[in-house]
Amino acid sequence: MIESFQIMKWPLLACLLLPGLLVYLGLHIVEREIIFVDLALAQVAALGNCVAILLGHDAHDWQTYAWSASFTVAGAGIFTVTKTKNLRVPQEALIGIVYVVAAALGILLLSRSAEGNEELRRTLVGDVLLVRPVEVGKTFGLYAVIAVIHFVFRRQFLALTLNHEPPRGARWWDFLFYALFGFVVTSFVQIGGVLLVFSYLIIPAVCGKFLANSLPVRLLIGWLVATLGSVVGLWASYVGDWPTGAAVVCTLGVVLLLVGMTSCFKHWRNNYKKEKLT
Amino acid sequence: MKIRTIILFALLMPALAHAKLNVVATTPELAAIARDIGGNRIEVVSLAKPTEDTHFVDPKPSFVVKLARADALIEGGAELEIGWLPPLLENARNSRLATDAPGRIAIAPGVQLLEVPTALDRSKGDVHAMGNPHFMTDPLNAKIAAQRIADGLAKLDAAGAETYRSNLAKFNTRIDAKMIEWHKTLAPFLGKRIVAYHNTWPDFGARFGLKIDLFLEPKPGIPPTPASLAEVIAKMKAEHLRVVIVEPYQNRKTADAVAIATGAVVVPVAQYPGGVKGTEGGYVELIDYLVNAIAKGLAQ
Repeated sequence: MIESFQIMKWPLLACLLLPGLLVYLGLHIVEREIIFVDLALAQVAALGNCVAILLGHDAHDWQTYAWSASFTVAGAGIFTVTKTKNLRVPQEALIGIVYVVAAALGILLLSRSAEGNEELRRTLVGDVLLVRPVEVGKTFGLYAVIAVIHFVFRRQFLALTLNHEPPRGARWWDFLFYALFGFVVTSFVQIGGVLLVFSYLIIPAVCGKFLANSLPVRLLIGWLVATLGSVVGLWASYVGDWPTGAAVVCTLGVVLLLVGMTSCFKHWRNNYKKEKLT
Repeated sequence: MKIRTIILFALLMPALAHAKLNVVATTPELAAIARDIGGNRIEVVSLAKPTEDTHFVDPKPSFVVKLARADALIEGGAELEIGWLPPLLENARNSRLATDAPGRIAIAPGVQLLEVPTALDRSKGDVHAMGNPHFMTDPLNAKIAAQRIADGLAKLDAAGAETYRSNLAKFNTRIDAKMIEWHKTLAPFLGKRIVAYHNTWPDFGARFGLKIDLFLEPKPGIPPTPASLAEVIAKMKAEHLRVVIVEPYQNRKTADAVAIATGAVVVPVAQYPGGVKGTEGGYVELIDYLVNAIAKGLAQ
């Protein structure tokens, strides 16, 4: 027991502390119907890494982080500009295109460079099992700052997401939203990989939507789901000796299935009651 | 919980009675040799599977557990494991396996590595600074590995030193006898050129007089491109090269396409016992398979 805790301590901390912000941002993302924007931003950031590698920087040089960060901001710019009222081209399509083109560009760039594939793989497939204490600390610090910004300006961000009266300078608020979101996603991708970051964003938010109508309740449900998924997933990974990130993702999937079934049952029962009354 | 503890103790009792050394090897061929040397005085596990690309091994919780409990770690040590072993060790926090501890048995420092780069240039591909890390494909390097493993184990378990020494002598005799046979099998093909997917085989080639220096990968670690494949196919046609060797985790389709275009045969090979059917027995069985399969391919 003590040994298992020793080994799973840092992954557990990472999976308990960090998804808090991811779940909240997930509610925004699901509401805005831009589900795959996280994957696209992660891929754009990885493209920045590719460029840095091509220029001869090491994966952990500050220049590499700078390239990755500036590509993330550029990606945020793209998504801000492409958010239009023009419904003939849905934004989801553009997000998909950005993802695919960024991925393909990365392959092109690295086909000429050394150790490129290895590095690209590493930037996209983090492994939460081997997360370092320093990484957890740094990322938690970053998330705390971003959470404060989101809390202070919650009215502006929520108005944009829920399509209420947009605040003044809506474009800039949008840009800030995407840029912050980009940093949150890319820093977690380094720790847990793309699959895990996507799951923490979307699955708890969808569970919240299934079960509740008000935002605070949805957020609470989302946090509960994320915590449950993390603890059970890490435990399953240890006991069954499965790759850690994938185990957590599958656990979250099972939780969603249970929540979906509960919600269906509730609907069915409500309808049945109504029929009886009439 | 209590029941589990009891079961755990019941399982551990025989191990405690013999006080076997817990040995972890990074790759299966090192584990196989350690088994030959350690006999029933040690318990060996390999982290990488024989069919896996040992440049990339996906970490699992049990790896950390095994490393945390290990008395000894046997590694190639020529940067092959550099992408995945250090973070695992960092998490395992086992001082017995620290870099200079007697429990850390690295093979490469005793081996004359081939292809040591004069200057590190990333444009040359996934090049290893210490030289080609696939040195265990040469049976004489396996003898060095066996020696280093025997020395390392003797340091950790003085009571077993005699056993390790006699097992080492047995291993060496077996390899020496086999070497004659292997040289004989490959003698008709001295100087022949063979195409490989990745630059895994310079040590094997140098030992048995084969040139395994044409690769489907344009640079180590970079997947084949249409132009690089066309170049390989042209060279193969010009020189009438007949054999392409491919490892379990490499893209068999690419090798097949090249073979069809050139009329060559694809010979499945592996660096690790168990990587190809019939090689599960150990290191000698593996080299036996490699020598015979390549000879058969070249004879066609």
